[in-house]
Amino acid sequence: MNLTTALARLLIFPGLLFAVPAAWFFLWVERKTVALMQGRIGPPFMQPFYDFIKLLGKSTPPRNGVGGLLMMMWPLLAVSAAAGAVGLLPVLPSSGGFEGDLILLLALLELPSMCVIAAGFSSRSIFGEIGSAREAALSVSYNVVFLLAIVSIAASQHTFRLEALASAAADRPSSLYWLGVLAILVCLPAKLHINPFSLPNAEQEIYSGPMTEYAGPELAMWELSHGLEWVAATGLVATLAAPHLAAWWLAAMVFVALSFVVVLLLSVTAAATARLQIDTTVRFYWQCTLIFAVLAISSALFMRFKS
Amino acid sequence: MSYKIPMGPYHPALEEPYKLDMICEGETVIDANLHIGFNFRGIEHLAETRNYIQVIALMERVCGICSNIHTLTLCQAMEQLTGLNPPPRAQYIRVVVAELERLHSHVLWAGIAAKLMGFKTMFMTCFELREKVMDVLQAISGNRVNYSMNRIGGVNRDIDDPLAVLAMVEQLEREMVRTVIPIFTTSTTATSRCAGIGVLTREKAISCGVVGPTARASGLPQDLRRAAPYAAYAEMEFDVPVQQSGDVKARLLVRALEIIESCRILRQALTKMPPGELSTGDEKIVFTTGTATSRVEAPRGEVMYSVSWREGSRNPSRVHVRTPTFTNMPAVRWMVRGARLADTPLIQASIDPCYSCTDR
Repeated sequence: MNLTTALARLLIFPGLLFAVPAAWFFLWVERKTVALMQGRIGPPFMQPFYDFIKLLGKSTPPRNGVGGLLMMMWPLLAVSAAAGAVGLLPVLPSSGGFEGDLILLLALLELPSMCVIAAGFSSRSIFGEIGSAREAALSVSYNVVFLLAIVSIAASQHTFRLEALASAAADRPSSLYWLGVLAILVCLPAKLHINPFSLPNAEQEIYSGPMTEYAGPELAMWELSHGLEWVAATGLVATLAAPHLAAWWLAAMVFVALSFVVVLLLSVTAAATARLQIDTTVRFYWQCTLIFAVLAISSALFMRFKS
Repeated sequence: MSYKIPMGPYHPALEEPYKLDMICEGETVIDANLHIGFNFRGIEHLAETRNYIQVIALMERVCGICSNIHTLTLCQAMEQLTGLNPPPRAQYIRVVVAELERLHSHVLWAGIAAKLMGFKTMFMTCFELREKVMDVLQAISGNRVNYSMNRIGGVNRDIDDPLAVLAMVEQLEREMVRTVIPIFTTSTTATSRCAGIGVLTREKAISCGVVGPTARASGLPQDLRRAAPYAAYAEMEFDVPVQQSGDVKARLLVRALEIIESCRILRQALTKMPPGELSTGDEKIVFTTGTATSRVEAPRGEVMYSVSWREGSRNPSRVHVRTPTFTNMPAVRWMVRGARLADTPLIQASIDPCYSCTDR
């Protein structure tokens, strides 16, 4: 991958130029789906964009010293990491990439969550701190399944290169591969803080959790980073599940369509469930880990005997 | 290390003017202090400056959910002081409106409980049903919130076609049995959030003096409609649902079963409604000197009015109100001790608090 294609991927498609409108679109799809399921009209199409612009126009309370600087830094870091993760997705055929870019993608996907935790503690608000503690406990729980899933997908294809994994769906991959994709899907509601795992920002319990002290452009950046996380997380599933297509425009359309389906699926799950408690959530993900680990090991052993 | 979490003075979950200071260790609540008085409106003092017609309209504004109960209790107390007895049809109409109000309050509470569990779809379903209850109330009284049904010695409006109202009530009952009641009684997500939390034992319930569904969920079979019947309740057949476990799930079950019982009472009242006058005492109303008290089973528990009058005066010399939340709220402290932080909004809501009418 040369510098031009790398920049094009990062800035145009699937990077910033595509990802930012896609983030607003996915946020709208989520809100609209939930509203329709609840018998409401829901927001107009442009609402997430209007929210963003309105927040940009507001002023933030002055915060002095290192604390203020840190609070300003976390949302920017989260946006950069989420945008970088979207840019790395191997959407187009022969898009390049490098050996081990899967590990970089994982790190970039995890960074916004780390920033949320740090932001809650930096804000020195009791609600922010509780929200951050919950986010940390949640992160420790679902990430074990998430990482196991990614590792098993990589192991089933003998590569840590994203492009090779993306093209694997076409070559009738093993059951281990699809098991991994399913496990990633199970982790997405927790990663995106939606029901039934919306406890870090449970409004009725701890106001907005880590975001309680945020306002104006900083909050706008958090909203954007959340939207970009939607694009990156659903995009990851879409690229892993999409068939390998030679035409770039067809590949791009299939990517958007699959992402849209995943967003719909997650929104319907969110609308149909109540919020779980922290210990139920942790137990759920550790049980998932156990089941997934047993299935992955048996599948790996089975493959070894078959070969 | 313990820390204090101040929730309020405008609570994010219940959207009520009260403050709960919780002392926590990690996610566990060690102790809690409840503060009220943020919405004091001086209604009891204002009542002393209003005549016997105006005071009914004023006391109707104490609560936006159980507005009828307040006027019913006040009118019953004033009827004792004037010696007027409402005619049988008026007594039946009072039962119909009171039970519709109970349905309205319980469905609204179910919606709030769902919202506190983060189950907003269920919240919307409950509120859709609540709209339909309000439609029935509007068909009867012409109003959706302050029904203005009660007057001294009877009611202001007749139910012209009780069978048409009965058809609406039966439609409501079918929808509740199909949606709200199964979700709260059998859904695993809802019951897993409610079982075993916010326990108030029978002994504690007696020592705290709790009333209404909170008491009935702790194994105390108290219901004024049965123990001291008023209006036409003596002629109605109904059960008083009682649960023994004293947790939030028990309070949920009691209210769900009460919805069914309310529909049963409504069916009887609407089919057996006797013909006759709507009120007595069209001539000038004369009060005797003295104090009268009246008690009524509101959706949240016992409401008590104590009204004092001086002969010859147009205004009451004192109107004292005791709302069920005032007696139920000290129990919250015992319920939240040892609970997880995530459960506290639901535990607080399980007594169905109304701090605005407690403050008055």
